[in-house]
Amino acid sequence: MRNLAEKWSIAPDWRNAVLAVPGLTIRPVLGLEQQMVSGDLAAWGKASGNAGPGVGAFEAAQGESYTARLARDRLLAVSRSAPPVAAGWHAEGFAVTAVSAAMQVFEAEGAALNELIARATTLDPKQPSASAALSFAGISAIVYRHGEALRIHVDRGLAAYLWTWLEMTARQIAANQK
Amino acid sequence: MQLFPCPFCGPRDETEFHYGGDAGNARPDGADVPIERWANYLHMRGNPKGVAREVWVHMNCSEFFVMERDTVTHEVLSSTALDGGHAQ
Repeated sequence: MRNLAEKWSIAPDWRNAVLAVPGLTIRPVLGLEQQMVSGDLAAWGKASGNAGPGVGAFEAAQGESYTARLARDRLLAVSRSAPPVAAGWHAEGFAVTAVSAAMQVFEAEGAALNELIARATTLDPKQPSASAALSFAGISAIVYRHGEALRIHVDRGLAAYLWTWLEMTARQIAANQK
Repeated sequence: MQLFPCPFCGPRDETEFHYGGDAGNARPDGADVPIERWANYLHMRGNPKGVAREVWVHMNCSEFFVMERDTVTHEVLSSTALDGGHAQ
């Protein structure tokens, strides 16, 4: 029987993976606490002390503790430290699910960032959209700005695919700039 | 590519959406529903030429909504969130 193991590229070691081409640097973001909140978001805002609608697509998140809006009744809470509300069902009317292990985060920055966005999605990054959940490089992702960078959350099982896509696209962008 | 307006997110690529059937095609309820009614529910479609009212879902944000669009010109006339109610 043929061994097809060599057909697939080895999954990157996210601890030291970096993609750098002229105008674009992409790296994984490790150590983020991620929680999916579903239900009464206002009640969660009270319980967590983190009120506000959450950033939509391509909006800028501030600080190390923020939320990204996914749907009318769902958001992703991101922080560097332990989250303020425990996972599980809360009688106030919302559920919190720990998804840190389920989602891989990438950060892209550089002068060619808009070129990357243009190749990944058909959305106009200047037009506001309430939800940060969108199709990015053909897969579902959560996309917003953080500082100068673009942050992209994807299901961990799709992270190696997205990395391959980013490698290929970054090379094309760099080649077009010559 | 065509842009569809999600009531929550705004304009998004058509590939982010999934068709959910004719709006107002309510599922029959009860044990004594005649087979003709089930057949209508399952198989009979209006398939209008022109303005159509359809249920769609925006898969990225899970918003179910009624979209009114012209099947000839592809013009989208309106999109309205279902808000847990039933589209008639």
